[in-house]
Amino acid sequence: MVFKWLDERLELRKFKEKFLSKTFPTHPTFLLGETALFSFITLVATGIFLGFLYEPSTTMVSLFGAMVPAAYASVVRIDLLPMGLIIRRIHHWSAMIMIAAILAHLLRVYFTASYRKPREINWLVGLSLWGTAMIGAFTGYLLPYSQFSVTATSIAYYMAKSMPWIGNWISRLLFAGDFPSDGTVPRFFFMHVMLIPATLIGLISLHMLILIKQKHTEPRSNRDRKEAQGGKRLIGIPIWPEQAVISLSFFLFLLFVVVLMAAYIPLNPIEMYGPPSPGTPVMRPDWYFLVVYGFLKLVPGDLVFTILGGKITPETIGGVIFPALNFLAYALVPFIDRSKEPQHYMANPLHRPFMTSLGVGAIVFLCMMAVAGYIDVLHITTKAMTVYALVATAAAWSVSYALLRWYNGKRGNNAKA
Amino acid sequence: MVDGNSAKETGKEGLTRRRFTLGMLIASIAGAFGSLFALLKVLAPEKKGGGYATTILPGDVLVYAQGGSAGSPVTASSMKAGDAVLAYPTGKSSNPANLVQLIKLEEAAFKPPTDISLTDKGFVAYSAICTHLGCTVSWMANRESPAASFTECFCHNSIFNPAEGAKVMGGPAPIPLAQIGVKVMQDGTLAFTSDFKGPIGPQV
Repeated sequence: MVFKWLDERLELRKFKEKFLSKTFPTHPTFLLGETALFSFITLVATGIFLGFLYEPSTTMVSLFGAMVPAAYASVVRIDLLPMGLIIRRIHHWSAMIMIAAILAHLLRVYFTASYRKPREINWLVGLSLWGTAMIGAFTGYLLPYSQFSVTATSIAYYMAKSMPWIGNWISRLLFAGDFPSDGTVPRFFFMHVMLIPATLIGLISLHMLILIKQKHTEPRSNRDRKEAQGGKRLIGIPIWPEQAVISLSFFLFLLFVVVLMAAYIPLNPIEMYGPPSPGTPVMRPDWYFLVVYGFLKLVPGDLVFTILGGKITPETIGGVIFPALNFLAYALVPFIDRSKEPQHYMANPLHRPFMTSLGVGAIVFLCMMAVAGYIDVLHITTKAMTVYALVATAAAWSVSYALLRWYNGKRGNNAKA
Repeated sequence: MVDGNSAKETGKEGLTRRRFTLGMLIASIAGAFGSLFALLKVLAPEKKGGGYATTILPGDVLVYAQGGSAGSPVTASSMKAGDAVLAYPTGKSSNPANLVQLIKLEEAAFKPPTDISLTDKGFVAYSAICTHLGCTVSWMANRESPAASFTECFCHNSIFNPAEGAKVMGGPAPIPLAQIGVKVMQDGTLAFTSDFKGPIGPQV
């Protein structure tokens, strides 16, 4: 009845035929992107709960007899609500999982060369999603206005300010004046709950639309099946009902894991950090910022120079140039590894010594930068750490390249024989 | 073809509907972006109660910045060589730029470029705002040999030597922490004797 009523007005049957029966190729790694999407849905849902109760203000208010910023007090009150702390932890864990899933998804696409023609645009959209997700996470750091929040945001403020030529203006624009300013929390709140989620939804939609238009890359085994059967269409399962059931059960499983983690693994204990105070204790950012955090520690302090009136400092190199160069390098991938013909099957990373070893080298480099974030507890000097990082990167790159060349040489001989 | 012909004709006449529309489009885009610039200026306020402008005056008494006795004066007798505390000038703790690290060392420990005239009875004070990215520095006390104690910023592990004018000993900080004059008063409290002898906070 309801379906008929709606169908007469919205042509649901046509929509089902055209869209819901689209083919979805199957491969375990195709669930990585979905993990990111489902984490985002969880973030929005928990974010709505938190948004009802959070107060974006640094006005000092009384909390159990102590004067603390209103934002901090409101988050402490959220933690004290039944399920309040667990919702906040689900929110934080989902953010970490979303960024991890995007990274894993990017690595999957990289190593299977699924970024090649015609999918270069979606590679760039995916990278933007990753960057936007990290900015979203970062703007969330400040909101509880704990000592951790203020320290992390202050560091980012000076990183933004260290940009040559436009640093002063950019930092004032993003932080609503010189940090710490009364305007920073409201501005970050707006960016965190409105501007960035809206951007993410836009980018996700674009990502999905391009995916639907270009169709999914397929596992290599599909090519053999098609050659054997003589078919040309995508091999897989329809979105409705098969893929929808898989996705839904996967979403629920993911939710179960996140709730379990939120229940048992403490995260961002703002009551332990306390409200902003003069001292700065040892604190490390969430895992996805460890690379920049570690790199900042390695830049020598005397590296200061001026280009065309723009001052380049260790902060500029570590906080602006390094992240920018990273993203630029990732963005260039589909334009370095080009192919004339459109590619629709996942490549075997073992058959691609150059790109695969480059990826392995990059992963080792990024891991070493994250390790550099811990030089204080590992008691390694910055110079030694720099040497270790470069040696490990060069070794991983060259060894993996040599091994893959050897493997492919052997494979080639076998194929001949 | 028709378009091509009309374009040729209009070339003689000068202004056509197409060129007029194009001009309108460019003008309106330029206008829209022009007004956007004004908006961006509004969104980036020059100052909103932040930044590092110190307000310390000679004679201001040093008070504890944190802990149970926050706000009460630091006394010279409470510190021995190798100790350090975070302190504010009394009544001026709302300005983070005023935060200093007050350190007591052996009087003979100081070496250039420390300004000895700004120290008194082994007491020396430096800005506590790290010159790298603005975190508050911490004191790494060495109980066995106080002279081996040093100042470290826990954010990115910049290390400063308090006996040598807070010279950068390691890490990414580009310049030393600025020294500021202190002296022990007759009543045993400490007071500032000068302003900071150098820039405060991140040099960006």
